[in-house]
Amino acid sequence: MQKFFEIIKPDHNFEFIGRQRFFIGMSIFLILVSIAMLPINHFWRGAALNYSIEFRGGTEMTVEFSEPQKPEVISGKIREAMAAGGFKDTEVVPVQGNDRSYLLRFAAVSPVSADAAKKLEATLRDKFGGEDGLRKFEESEGGDKLYFRFGRAVSTEDVGAVLKAQGIHYDAINQFGRTEDNQMEVVLVGLNGEVTRALDAKLGQGAVKSIPSYDSVGSQAGEELRNNGVKSLLLAIVVILIYIAIRFDFRYGPGTVVALLHDAFLVMGAFALTYKEFSLTTVAAILTVIGYSMNDTIVVFDRIRENVARYRDKKLDRVVNSSINETLSRTILTSATVFFVTLAMNIWGTGSIREFAFAMNVGVIVGTYSSIFIASPILIWLNERFYKPQGTVRAKPALPGA
Amino acid sequence: MERSLTYRAAVYLLISLIGFAALAPSVATWFGKEDAIPGWYKKRFDRKIQLGLDLQGGLHIVYKVDVDKAVSHRADRLATEVEERLRKEKKVSNIKVSRAGNDEVVVHFNDAAEMKKLDREFEKSLRHDAFVDNRDDKHNDVTLKINSDLIDEMREYAVSQGVLTIRDRVDKMAVSEPNIMRKGADIIVELPGLKPEDFERVKRQIGRTAQLEFKIVDDGADYMKTLSGFALAEKDKYPGLDVGHDFWTQKDNQKTHTDVYLKAKDRKLIEKFIAELPDEHKIPADHEIGYEQEVERDDLGNPTQDQYWRTYYLHRRAELTGEYIEDSDWNVDPQTLRPEVSLKFDRKGGDLFEKVSGDNVGAKMAIILDERIESAPVLEGKIGGGRARITLGGAGSQDALKQEAVELVQVLKTGALPAPLAWKSENQVGPTLGRDAIDKAKFSMIVGSLAVIFFMLIYYRASGFIADAAMVLNIVFLLAILACAQATLTLPGIAGVVLTVGMAVDANIIIYERIREELRAGKSPRGAVEAGFGKAFWTVFDAHVTNLVAGVILFSYGTGPVRGFAVTLIAGIICNLFTSVWVSRVMFDFMVSRKKATLSI
Repeated sequence: MQKFFEIIKPDHNFEFIGRQRFFIGMSIFLILVSIAMLPINHFWRGAALNYSIEFRGGTEMTVEFSEPQKPEVISGKIREAMAAGGFKDTEVVPVQGNDRSYLLRFAAVSPVSADAAKKLEATLRDKFGGEDGLRKFEESEGGDKLYFRFGRAVSTEDVGAVLKAQGIHYDAINQFGRTEDNQMEVVLVGLNGEVTRALDAKLGQGAVKSIPSYDSVGSQAGEELRNNGVKSLLLAIVVILIYIAIRFDFRYGPGTVVALLHDAFLVMGAFALTYKEFSLTTVAAILTVIGYSMNDTIVVFDRIRENVARYRDKKLDRVVNSSINETLSRTILTSATVFFVTLAMNIWGTGSIREFAFAMNVGVIVGTYSSIFIASPILIWLNERFYKPQGTVRAKPALPGA
Repeated sequence: MERSLTYRAAVYLLISLIGFAALAPSVATWFGKEDAIPGWYKKRFDRKIQLGLDLQGGLHIVYKVDVDKAVSHRADRLATEVEERLRKEKKVSNIKVSRAGNDEVVVHFNDAAEMKKLDREFEKSLRHDAFVDNRDDKHNDVTLKINSDLIDEMREYAVSQGVLTIRDRVDKMAVSEPNIMRKGADIIVELPGLKPEDFERVKRQIGRTAQLEFKIVDDGADYMKTLSGFALAEKDKYPGLDVGHDFWTQKDNQKTHTDVYLKAKDRKLIEKFIAELPDEHKIPADHEIGYEQEVERDDLGNPTQDQYWRTYYLHRRAELTGEYIEDSDWNVDPQTLRPEVSLKFDRKGGDLFEKVSGDNVGAKMAIILDERIESAPVLEGKIGGGRARITLGGAGSQDALKQEAVELVQVLKTGALPAPLAWKSENQVGPTLGRDAIDKAKFSMIVGSLAVIFFMLIYYRASGFIADAAMVLNIVFLLAILACAQATLTLPGIAGVVLTVGMAVDANIIIYERIREELRAGKSPRGAVEAGFGKAFWTVFDAHVTNLVAGVILFSYGTGPVRGFAVTLIAGIICNLFTSVWVSRVMFDFMVSRKKATLSI
């Protein structure tokens, strides 16, 4: 007989199902830890998960300084300068491998702070004649525009003078809508200009070389994205359940779904525990993990279905155990290739790629684990509870399967 | 059997060649050797993979269409209309019409008896726009509310038109490969490759609430005479500023007019002068200054190469706006040979235009687009029929003017933004950030792929080589599909490609392990290959379908980079099924087709 290069010899027979209590207990424990981390993080680190700007709203800005800076010295200075410029509670993160670049995170998405806006409104009211003078004062969602509506004709020049006196920098003031409505919009100077100004004021003119990138998300958009993320995860699970129910048999469905939820929770738990940034990319990774985790479950289930048809007199839990053993080498090999590819991205990748790869690393491990220790026991349990008390599965005419 | 093998091999070879061919232009561009590709080739395979924002830098903005504002404007109009009609048609005089909420109009009657005049019939005549929401007999108030169907209609219209309008504007700015999408009530604008110094300018252009307005010119006013005097006195302070006069005779009564205006080469200079006017010369609140660019003419009246800006002194009230335009087209005036843009107003607009032109015979009417006067023709009489013409002003060659006319018609047809855009989120990426990320992503991709390739070679030997070949083909197909779809490759997209590398061999592993089992069971190599592929097929198929489900949901959920990832994932899964199940099968069949075949697996 031909010899193969094998990691797992074909004649092995590990006991999986007999030890299911231990593994299920461990999974429950890990899931509880994952869930418990949310409130713990909330009180300990400030938020349940380290939500990215996309989810919590606010601005993330990379600032490049002209001179190399020491993180311990500059961080405090940046925070002070930002506070003086009206940006409260700025988070300063040094960019790895570049001593000139720093990442600033702050809640404001508008160059005009809430206080400044209030003051401006009061001044405009004062100057252009009380309630009837200024009928409407609004900030656009993103805060890059202001809208006014006056009760009488007011020239853009006069409004501009008020803005200048308040230290609000703008690019243009335009009238819009019908003339007799006296509506105006002010296009404000970008947030990057405003931050450069604030930093230069404290650290000296020209201290900031450039702002290579920035990312602002209004709070409403963040909330929408969060809801959509949860919705899409649930939708994926439901569709997969339906597919499994059609392709296999209904009793294979719940096991896969519990396994998927298990994987999703544990990946989220890993993010809660490490407090790595939880972003849109992370949600994408969890969805990918869900799709991928099915890979292993399907390999095992296909074999179970095939063996059930072949050994009708055996007890189901024995059939399942030998099926897992038979498919063990391919389960491990397929997971390993994806694991190593994503590990490379985790080690050498940057930014969101790295978080994505981390989620995939965790996901591949728990996904493989869950198809053996979660999905299969649930299949056995369902079968015993609802189908055939004696413990054999009445097989569907099996499709040719591996 | 043998013949079928040859056929299959030929078909797959052909598909592979097409894949390589489709990919060539993209690869050439990445290595900066675009010119190396001959022209005849480019004609057939001109589609390329575009690099996303995160890879080449650029601007990504999400706008929310501010429908509330549009609704509010509509309610304003409704208020005007109801007031006018009640006064004229119903002869109600003692009313006060005010606005409440975002979509309500409250009519207050001082006389309870008159309230009856706003009856069912009147409401019916408004049916399309609004309905009576409440009658408050105690206070003699009738509340009219904008129809919610109309609001839905406006929302739909505002977003879809907004996308068209922005697309037009971006096209006008000659930004390469812009991507403007609609997502629910949001508009997403992606401008890859846009340079950081252009960000603010482009944002201003896109967000502008561009409107076509018609305003009556008042250049003969005494104020302009004083202002021109002041301008001449201040000439030293504003070098280049000049005063011009325009003499013309009104056709119907031979009355002569003298228009006074300011002129300068640079519009900003006049604007600066106006902004710095001392209080005693300030422009009256009911007036404003408009600007037009004109061609300088020599003494004989022939146009020269030079251009200048001139002012118009306008009544601030817009008599008519672009929202009444129903249709627009352009043609060349056979007499002047200048391109003209014709407008057709809707019924309301036509009535308004007729009234305005009748009331202002002998005056000039400025046609203003985007704060710039296109032309200011003299109104020679009442203009009925709801049609107007804009003779394009400004300088430029005949071709340039024609181009402008075409663009103007486009904008007018799609209209000004029907509702203002509210900024929602934005992502600016400089090109250097992308370069660094791309290098690291490339490195991790190469390392990961090599690890998988070597592993397969060591573990499965010759069969591992087949799996590797299938994987490489898989990537070629995947990228070729992306190129044909002109998809955008983002950093997460590259991650998707790498992930595909990992998953591509998965299917092969499942099949190979099955073949090994069959061999262990004592089957011949040919039989084992047959059985292995046959039995593993449905397992591989199911696994791919579930992955596909996740990919499709990801696609519909995500925006920007996440979407790019979903696209590569979906394309990768489909290619994978093809290469790992069918293409590698051909290679196996070839390997075991000899009589005394052995299987290296």
